[in-house]
Amino acid sequence: MGFDIPRRTTFALALLLAGCIHPAAAAIKNEDCLACHADARLRSAAGTSVAVDPERFRASVHGQAEVSCVDCHADLKADKDFPHAEKLKSVSCAGCHDQETRVFKASVHGGATVDKDGMTVGCKGCHGTHDIRAKDDFESRTFAINLPRTCLGCHSAKVRNARGGAFVELYEKSAHYRALERAGLTLSATCSNCHGAHDIQSVKDAVSKVSRKNIIKTCGQCHVGIQRDYLEGVHGKDYVKGIKDVPVCTDCHSEHDIRSPMDLDSTVYTTKVAQVCSRCHDDMALSRQYGFAPNRMKTYANSFHGTASKFGEIRVANCASCHGFHDIRDPADPKSSIYPANLPETCGQCHPGASKHFAEGKIHNALGTTGDIRDKAPHIVKTVYLAVIAAIIGVFLLFIAADLFGRAIRRKTHG
Amino acid sequence: MDDRELVRDDEVFVRMNLAERVQHGLLILTFITLMATGLPLFFYEFKFFKWLLPTGRAFAVRGVLHRVAAVILAANLVWHLFYTLFTARGRANFKAMAPGVRDFRDASGQFFYNVGITRLLNRLGIGKKFFARHPYWLFKEAPRYDRYNFVEKFEYWAVGWGSAVMIVSGFFMWKVDLSLRLFPLWVHDIFIIVHSYEAMLAFLAIIIWHMYNVHLNPEVFPMSKIWLNGKITGRELRTLHPLEYERILQERKKASISVTYN
Repeated sequence: MGFDIPRRTTFALALLLAGCIHPAAAAIKNEDCLACHADARLRSAAGTSVAVDPERFRASVHGQAEVSCVDCHADLKADKDFPHAEKLKSVSCAGCHDQETRVFKASVHGGATVDKDGMTVGCKGCHGTHDIRAKDDFESRTFAINLPRTCLGCHSAKVRNARGGAFVELYEKSAHYRALERAGLTLSATCSNCHGAHDIQSVKDAVSKVSRKNIIKTCGQCHVGIQRDYLEGVHGKDYVKGIKDVPVCTDCHSEHDIRSPMDLDSTVYTTKVAQVCSRCHDDMALSRQYGFAPNRMKTYANSFHGTASKFGEIRVANCASCHGFHDIRDPADPKSSIYPANLPETCGQCHPGASKHFAEGKIHNALGTTGDIRDKAPHIVKTVYLAVIAAIIGVFLLFIAADLFGRAIRRKTHG
Repeated sequence: MDDRELVRDDEVFVRMNLAERVQHGLLILTFITLMATGLPLFFYEFKFFKWLLPTGRAFAVRGVLHRVAAVILAANLVWHLFYTLFTARGRANFKAMAPGVRDFRDASGQFFYNVGITRLLNRLGIGKKFFARHPYWLFKEAPRYDRYNFVEKFEYWAVGWGSAVMIVSGFFMWKVDLSLRLFPLWVHDIFIIVHSYEAMLAFLAIIIWHMYNVHLNPEVFPMSKIWLNGKITGRELRTLHPLEYERILQERKKASISVTYN
């Protein structure tokens, strides 16, 4: 469309034109329909309610634009004989909303996805019928704060997800939903911000907004700075190359259940970060394939940082404390937080006055795996200690056994 | 006068005076606290320690307790040092505690006396000539001990050595910033390794060696009460510390003779 004329205006103009050209066609007024349908008890032969609340219709986006009943229930347009036929054709929105309808038809909700229970989703599934409101109207089913409830109407129980029944509901635990619901922050991500609205596609589909290919861009709609940092880091650089094993946003933060890192149940809460990173960085096969150091979790767990973290201590370094998070860089990169020259500053965050000595040795010390004295010396000390402990305890046990044996023999011989 | 009258079996001698018992008591308290608050770090996978240190502030409290106990242990050690240097009894104990070649001979003597392997060989007729010439190697008698036997000396010096190692390495782990200003990271790593394995050694030594010698040993079972009342009887002295007993006896004999002459 060349001019951005609001749909409501266009529609009113069209109606006005139609009214001028065919005055007779406008014979059936909404009042005529409401004469019967305003009765809240009105039911069809099948027993379903066919009542229309006049107030709600008048307040709706279509009521405001003075759309008449027969504009949508078009098969009644020519009907003069009331009461009309019991069975009407289902309403098509395509007459006015053609572009949306086209996009919708190609989406996962479009006709193609009728499931074995015969369930399908049409416009009214999300938007409702006589009381459709604009999406910025507080009362609207598609208003940002109300949208999760609308989608969950089907996605909590009726629609089974490959990831389990409660997968979609997890969104209600997320920081995004808290922002929407508690803070009333409509800028926060609601379903449609990540999945799209009419054009929702399966996550497996490469064109989907939430596919691995697009998720960075999708989250980056709001998290612009994080997207930039991510793309500068090692993960982002490999992501751009199309490497499938590289983590994207959702691999660390989870999908629906994205929480603040301060939240105890967040996947990136300080005591849980190591588990997230170690999914790849403790994996032998991946480390061999991509040439990064293995056993990061094991070596971290053996350190004081890791041990304290296991006991729930939060004032202790996790992976991200030293390596950063979105823009994790190669240690050889002078901009990396663990580039040797930067270590005093990085370690200094917790250890004020950290000296260059922090760089002389390894935090992830896989004892004795290299010939370097810094690796070897602690390993030698440990080995010597183990040998000494074994020897001393061995001698103790030997003496105790001898003592008990001697006593037993003497008791026997001396009575 | 008869020996048994000079040192009667039911006479009571002070083996540990009050100061020594308090030092030992403080050592027990601090040792248990240090182990309870330190071992979990070594065995973080153990369910028991997870229970002992639930998530939350417990970990920080653990650290504080560990340091408090460590300071008390160090202060106790300093007290003991001064006690040893500046009291006559302390100096005498220290002299009696000095290790010597004799202790190694006592240890092997006690071992072979208990095992009796050489006596068995002799009975079977193996090395008969050798044993006839060197009856010592038959270990027919248990070694005769002085005030402190090799077991007690070993434990005393092990505590001394262990405490020194733990205090130095622990100090630098406590003051990690200072440590890393002075030493490279790999040296600090050695402090950590030394601290944890020395703790392991101390823990095993106490629960195996010390607990056997003062609790489970049939001689004292269920427990030697010396650490509580500090008392040892003349009879115990005669059987367990015969050399000390004889020295006391000789002194009293001399004294009684001089009394008679006067």
